[in-house]
Amino acid sequence: MTSKFSQVFLASVLALAALLAGCSKAPTEADLNLATAKQKAEECVEPENVIRTKHMDMLMHQRDATMIEGIRTKQHSLKECINCHVSATKQDGSPLHYGDKEHFCTTCHAAVGQKIDCFQCHADRPDVAQNQNYQHAVGSTEGHHFTQGVTEAAAPTTAEVQMVTQPQQGAAQ
Amino acid sequence: MSQNRVDEYRRKFVTALGGVAAAATVAPGFFLREAQAAGEVPTRSLDQAVTSEKRWGMLIDITKLTDGGAGMVEACKKEHGWDNNPLSRDDQKAHWARVVNVKDKLTGHSFSLPVMCQHCENPPCVDVCPTGASMKRADGIVQVNKHICIGCRYCMMACPYKARSFVHEPLTDQRSYSPRGMGTVESCNMCIHRIDEGRLPACVEAAPDAVIFGDLNDPNSAVSQALKAMGGKQIRADLNLNTGVRYHGI
Ligand code: HEC
Ligand code: HEC
Ligand code: HEC
Repeated sequence: MTSKFSQVFLASVLALAALLAGCSKAPTEADLNLATAKQKAEECVEPENVIRTKHMDMLMHQRDATMIEGIRTKQHSLKECINCHVSATKQDGSPLHYGDKEHFCTTCHAAVGQKIDCFQCHADRPDVAQNQNYQHAVGSTEGHHFTQGVTEAAAPTTAEVQMVTQPQQGAAQ
Repeated sequence: MSQNRVDEYRRKFVTALGGVAAAATVAPGFFLREAQAAGEVPTRSLDQAVTSEKRWGMLIDITKLTDGGAGMVEACKKEHGWDNNPLSRDDQKAHWARVVNVKDKLTGHSFSLPVMCQHCENPPCVDVCPTGASMKRADGIVQVNKHICIGCRYCMMACPYKARSFVHEPLTDQRSYSPRGMGTVESCNMCIHRIDEGRLPACVEAAPDAVIFGDLNDPNSAVSQALKAMGGKQIRADLNLNTGVRYHGI
């Protein structure tokens, strides 16, 4: 009984160690498909070792902060991960979805056997038609990265200001 | 800040009209016209939690809605993309907002109005939720925290306005700002993503002549002023839910 338990225990420790080892051993860039993000930014919203091991906690925290308190900082926002890391289409022009091997979040999760349900609801690629300007550069006026916790509200874009200040169709009738 | 610009524009517009013979026709609707499409940009910084200082609400003047609210419903559909359920039966399909036709059988008098989540101060859907997913945010917006929704649908039963629906089929390519997925309940969230950015809800934007949106807690806001001047009815006022969505002309 005890020996069986210790066997199982040992096995799981080994499995965990293997998993951790898999994580700390830097997978090659091709495996991870970092190209899309690298076109847009120098580095991630957190140092590499932090984002690799803690992104799940950050996302879960951000999730509750947004839903319950209305906090909408961009640093740990799921929408922003997707905007920066995922391109809307594959190289052949067909839509790129979570589950495809090119999808940034899939690359790693497939390797470590992690299943997530986030993309049953969340868009797994940027919606280009809706919002053409999503590809803001880090350090632009939206500069929200690396300012953990003290992010200012993003200033409304001109289009948004217009939407509020100008009459909509019908208003002038 | 932009509020002032709106007013400035309206004033110019109303005086311009006044110069012509239209003054008399404009006058009765003056309040609505003056304040229409008035968005109140939150002064809140987005790293701060919302507080109960504001309570968002709207007044819908159905006498000014020539289409009974169909345009508002369309705008909502487009914004949140809830029209993508081909596999569901008609009575299962998503309806964040719908046009309700009312007819008095005795007199034959009839009218239509758009009905969506009424954003109650005392929401029955929140009372019955076993997980806390059905929630009221501090600023009065009632929504589903889908992350902890188990899809039991008690809230759908409890809602006197039939405002909620359930997603029965797998979805793809949802709007990035409006995640929706199978197995969870959903409803109008007053375009919470827009409000947080200081933009008007999509339906309000689609019917600027007929809807005023704003802070019900601020007696000087356009919507409070309009409510003070014109009244504004709650649907099923007898339930004492103190709804955030009010109607004129029903
Ligand atoms: C502004 C663009 C941008 C955003 C937003 C962003 N990232 Fe990154 N991320 C990058 C870049 C660039 C790299 C590559 C850094 C490097 O190679 O030095 C990276 C690296 C990573 C890595 C490490 C990959 C490795 O080498 O092991 C992970 C994991 C990651 N990001 C996850 C996320 C998550 C999760 C989010 C959302 C919370 C996010 N990123 C948001 C740009 C971004
Ligand atoms: C059943 C649907 C559903 C599922 C599944 C889901 N979410 Fe969400 N999520 C939502 C909704 C709805 C919002 C609110 C969007 C808004 O108000 O803008 C949201 C908002 C968020 C936000 C804040 C907005 C943003 O993009 O930063 C984060 C972070 C988030 N979810 C993380 C997650 C993570 C991580 C998972 C998977 C573990 C997940 N969600 C699974 C529906 C879902
Ligand atoms: C560097 C590899 C790597 C990349 C890239 C990566 N993840 Fe992960 N992710 C992991 C590992 C490993 C776990 C499992 C950690 C554990 O089980 O403790 C995980 C777990 C998660 C979880 C927690 C699931 C749960 O139920 O606890 C979420 C959410 C998540 N990842 C989201 C993302 C998103 C979104 C992306 C793309 C932006 C992404 N990840 C990219 C390695 C990665």
